Amino acid sequence: MSDAAHAHDDHSHGHPSGIMRWLTTTNHKDIGTMYLWFALIMLFSAGTMALLIRAELFQPGLQLTNPDFFNQLTTMHGLIMIFGAIMPAFSGFANWQVPLMIGAPDMAFPRMNNWAFWLLPVAALMLMSSFLLPGGAVAGGWTMYPPLFIQGGISYDLTILAVHIMGLSSIMGSINIVTTILNMRAPGLTLMKMPLFVWTWLITAYLLIATMPVLAGAVTMLLTDRNFGTHFFNAAGGGDPVMFQHIFWFFGHPEVYILILPAFGIVSQIIPTFARKPLFGYASMVYATASIAILSFTVWAHHMFAVGMPAAAQLFFMFSTMLIAVPTGVKVFNWVATMWKGSLTFETPMLFAIAFVCLFTIGGFSGLVLAVAPVDIQLQDTYYVVAHFHYVLVSGALFAIFAGIYYWLPKWTGHMYSETLGRWHFWLSVIGMNIVFFPMHFLGLAGMPRRIPDYALQFTEFNQIATVGAFIFGFSQLVFLVLVLKTIKGGAKAADRVWEGAEGLEWTLPSPAPYHTFETAPVVK
Amino acid sequence: MEQVKTEDCAGESAGAFVFQSRPNHSLTRPQERLVFWSLAALCSAMALGFALMGYWLTLPFAGLEIGLLAWAFKVLRGREGDYEALMIEGDVVVLEWHVGTRGERREMNRHWARVACDCRTPGRNCRLSVSSHGRATEVGQYLSDEGRLQLAATLRSRLQG
Repeated sequence: MSDAAHAHDDHSHGHPSGIMRWLTTTNHKDIGTMYLWFALIMLFSAGTMALLIRAELFQPGLQLTNPDFFNQLTTMHGLIMIFGAIMPAFSGFANWQVPLMIGAPDMAFPRMNNWAFWLLPVAALMLMSSFLLPGGAVAGGWTMYPPLFIQGGISYDLTILAVHIMGLSSIMGSINIVTTILNMRAPGLTLMKMPLFVWTWLITAYLLIATMPVLAGAVTMLLTDRNFGTHFFNAAGGGDPVMFQHIFWFFGHPEVYILILPAFGIVSQIIPTFARKPLFGYASMVYATASIAILSFTVWAHHMFAVGMPAAAQLFFMFSTMLIAVPTGVKVFNWVATMWKGSLTFETPMLFAIAFVCLFTIGGFSGLVLAVAPVDIQLQDTYYVVAHFHYVLVSGALFAIFAGIYYWLPKWTGHMYSETLGRWHFWLSVIGMNIVFFPMHFLGLAGMPRRIPDYALQFTEFNQIATVGAFIFGFSQLVFLVLVLKTIKGGAKAADRVWEGAEGLEWTLPSPAPYHTFETAPVVK
Repeated sequence: MEQVKTEDCAGESAGAFVFQSRPNHSLTRPQERLVFWSLAALCSAMALGFALMGYWLTLPFAGLEIGLLAWAFKVLRGREGDYEALMIEGDVVVLEWHVGTRGERREMNRHWARVACDCRTPGRNCRLSVSSHGRATEVGQYLSDEGRLQLAATLRSRLQG
């Protein structure tokens, strides 16, 4: 209750319209929508870079790019996909779904939520505009290793600043998510009753809060090495460039799980819905997620076996990496067990979820291969590694994002999407994705190095196959764009409980979910 | 808005009408301490570890982040006392609200008090206020539209009765 003249932030009354609505909004649904659109734009931007890379690699020799521009493309593709597409997409899901799933009216800090989002386009603009600077964009790889990152031009400073801004955005978002989940759960919604998606985001937010200062510190030390005469990583001044790799991957490996844990959460919501069975082993799923998060702090050096380390350290990191397969295996087992003897139907979200389980597992297995130190030393910096992490991040993270969008889009828009277009998108994506990335295993095993625009003739056929697949996969995303636009514009009216087997608070709301929801908290029994 | 739960929507005792409502807080103090200190300890330990190896620039960022986290929990604690209350006893209507550090208690004559519930669309996006002497005070911030409409009807009958 407050004086009406100084009323609280209530958007339903005289809230701005047009661009000002989106600039000033503190509504979790608006902000979630903005995150998702931003992620889609970044996906198309970084995807275009990927197509340029693949076009160049269609045949040996230099066709479209020079080596420096090629490396700019690979670096920016990685940075934008990770920090601009995948992470913001999951933040979009968190913004839309976490309050709806826990029965909260909004996020705990709505204004901070707005700031967290609007920092992202600023950072993205900085990153993208670096292509226009003298010397072009950064070309030292998304991992920002010195000495390349110490020696580059002005775009390197701009990239470091952009990474800082994106880190700040992530921290603000994570603190918001942790406080929202812990403090705003509906009465009766105990931790062990929370939907798996909420659990995975809670653990992801913990990981983000824990690791972001490490990344911020690392890139700041790069910045001071570049501009203020320090020698943290500058070998010429007694610094240790290898230490940057340790620090970076101490952040970077948990970051891998930051990119995949929310995907696990989305898939864990979808599979029980379309299997019409409760999730098998809910508690073990929660503990497996937490175990993966804890173990992620103990495996960083498997990214750098090739730099040289004592045999004991190699053994430790090899076995700790293999240990992660145990909780991940628990998850895969539970998803399969949930489907086992379920009353399955195969709508688009379920198709993407099943593809996720199958293809992510392939990515997991190739990760196990790379975990073996002597093998990794052979395969380091080859296309085998590229194949591995694309199976994890494309058929893992990205397919889970698609699955989640198909799953909740009717709730967000109030309209059913076109199942026909959805299936076209699914099959083109799955086939295209496998055509691109499966041959890369063979290329890597045969010794083709990554981040090189030219290659030996023996690699031509597999590269041509991969490029054809890349264009199929890339252009099939236009089907997705058309589908989303069509669904927003119209379509069959979605029911409140869109899917027969769907359980959870979000399905008790009308479709589309009203602008304000759960002003009075529901009671969960 | 961060309100979640309405407690004790409306009750009567000895002819008086009492409405009280407050936001939901599912995080207890011990849980809050556990969450904050576990995160703070983890961040500090990692930053300190790197600092001891000479890479001290992780420390200020860990400090800033722990500070932001502390601020967030402090704000949450500050909101624990948020509430709104409306009492009708005899000819007096008492309105009370407290949000963060701000709060107000207002008394008005029951016969002069007017209830207004404006909805932008029928039954949706409703705003409930009680006004007197040209000044309106919003009520039912922590309620749903249905709750506000119901409270408006109750208040109208109470104020007329």
